[in-house]
Amino acid sequence: MTPEIPKTQYPAHNTQHPILNVEGLTVYRNSYLAIRDVSFELLPGTDTAVVGPNGAGKSTLIQAILNLIPRTGGKIEIFGRPVERLGHLCHQLGYVPQNFIFDRSFPISVAELVGLGWVKRQAGGERIGQAAIAQALRRVGAYQLRNQVIGTLSGGELKRVLLAYCIVMPRKFLLLDEAFAGVDIQGAADFYALLNQLKREEDWTVLQISHDIDMVSRHCDRVLCLNQTVVCTGTPDIALSPQNLLATYGPAFSRYHHHH
Amino acid sequence: MDCNHYSFSWLAVTNGTDLVTLLQFPFMQRAIAGAVLMGLLGGLLGSFVTLRELSFFSHAVGHAALVGVALGVLLQLNPTVMLLPFTLVFGLVVLYLIDQTDLASDSILSIVLSGALAIGVLLTSLLPGYRGNLMGVLFGDVLAINVTDLILTLLVLIGSSIFLLSTLRQQILLTLNPDVAQVQGIPVQLYRYAFVVLLSLAVAVAIKAVGVLLVNAFLVIPASTAKLLNHQFAHFLATSVILGAVSSIAGMIISGLFNFASGPSIVLFQFLLFLVVFTWVNAVSTFSKRMR
Repeated sequence: MTPEIPKTQYPAHNTQHPILNVEGLTVYRNSYLAIRDVSFELLPGTDTAVVGPNGAGKSTLIQAILNLIPRTGGKIEIFGRPVERLGHLCHQLGYVPQNFIFDRSFPISVAELVGLGWVKRQAGGERIGQAAIAQALRRVGAYQLRNQVIGTLSGGELKRVLLAYCIVMPRKFLLLDEAFAGVDIQGAADFYALLNQLKREEDWTVLQISHDIDMVSRHCDRVLCLNQTVVCTGTPDIALSPQNLLATYGPAFSRYHHHH
Repeated sequence: MDCNHYSFSWLAVTNGTDLVTLLQFPFMQRAIAGAVLMGLLGGLLGSFVTLRELSFFSHAVGHAALVGVALGVLLQLNPTVMLLPFTLVFGLVVLYLIDQTDLASDSILSIVLSGALAIGVLLTSLLPGYRGNLMGVLFGDVLAINVTDLILTLLVLIGSSIFLLSTLRQQILLTLNPDVAQVQGIPVQLYRYAFVVLLSLAVAVAIKAVGVLLVNAFLVIPASTAKLLNHQFAHFLATSVILGAVSSIAGMIISGLFNFASGPSIVLFQFLLFLVVFTWVNAVSTFSKRMR
């Protein structure tokens, strides 16, 4: 059974070039096929969620888009340029991997960590930088944590700080790999409100991996269901229909959904 | 070596006046200058070595230096001249091996460390009359530092300072998360290899003074002590460098006062400082938990 792939409807004002264009992306990891023939594009000012079961290749997809792992086939263009030749446009990217920090005993304060996202040459001098760090921390509601060492933060607090790291400088394209995992309901709602604001007011584009189907259906513009390849893509009400979820996650998911 | 025996006999002094006299000897001034330079260099590189989990790496490079020294003597070249390129190439090859295999990096390092040690000891045994100097390579002699050694150490220190401080934020990001650093356009591989080049050179220039077995202390102990004391990276880096230099001065004074060998005296001071700080930090945190 192949579910119909609905044509995506974009808002009328979005006639710009795509922020991201992926064509026929195929990636092998240690000789097993991780994703095959994935094609999609993202238009400016949209928030797209990638959903799919564990091992579907979601993180692989984002790592391949960012050219962090080699691909076997396909073409990736970010801001209309091949990803290998982004040049200074790489400062327009914000990336939060699943595990940003391996070493919790790293001696670095929250403000210093956020400041790493500030690229002097691109955005201005030291004083403007300090103001930008304070503002970014306020926007994610973590300003009171600024002098703490990162090792003392809770999981949710750390996620806020990492988002502050991304937004300390004006960027265009955010890639979040389960950035909200472990964040409580209120925290997740705050996050989506902030993403919404960045999207509406500053034209940011967001590609995020999420396991929270409810949050995705409420807040994202588009959903890409992935299970090795694109199972379906479209607005949340279409892409997250029971039929498409079944096709993406397999029978186990529908059982899970019925029981809870 | 004769000169060193002579200097050791001069070290058999235990009062302050004699210590001042001792400081007027050029070999002692060179030794203190060298020890301080190595303390600064160890503190600077060590702050990244400890965070990037490279402490075992520098340990392995240090042991490989034994092969370098033995080869130098065998080929009748100056061991110091042989040491620099040898540790440099060794460090780069080991990093390349770690990148190219799925084996855990500590396994690779154990393998090359054991291999280097075996080859080094066997090569040394081929050298008639040289075996006595094995102790010298293993433990070094700070008092044998000459002007060339000082200049080499200073050059590595200047090179490391320029490289690390001019790219400090990029280095921190790279240490925290290489993937994120790469996305931000940081030349991750180039910086990793450049750091290993500096680290290998630092180990090579320090070996004559502190020996294969203790060289790693300069990289690991002051930085670890600084890590216990600091919650901000800038402070951590400064503390690590300062502790490195202070330990060297204090160690040289201890060695002069008690007629101890200089290298082990410095490391002993680094170690005691670590123990004091460790105890202090734990006591403070236990106390503040009780008060809550």
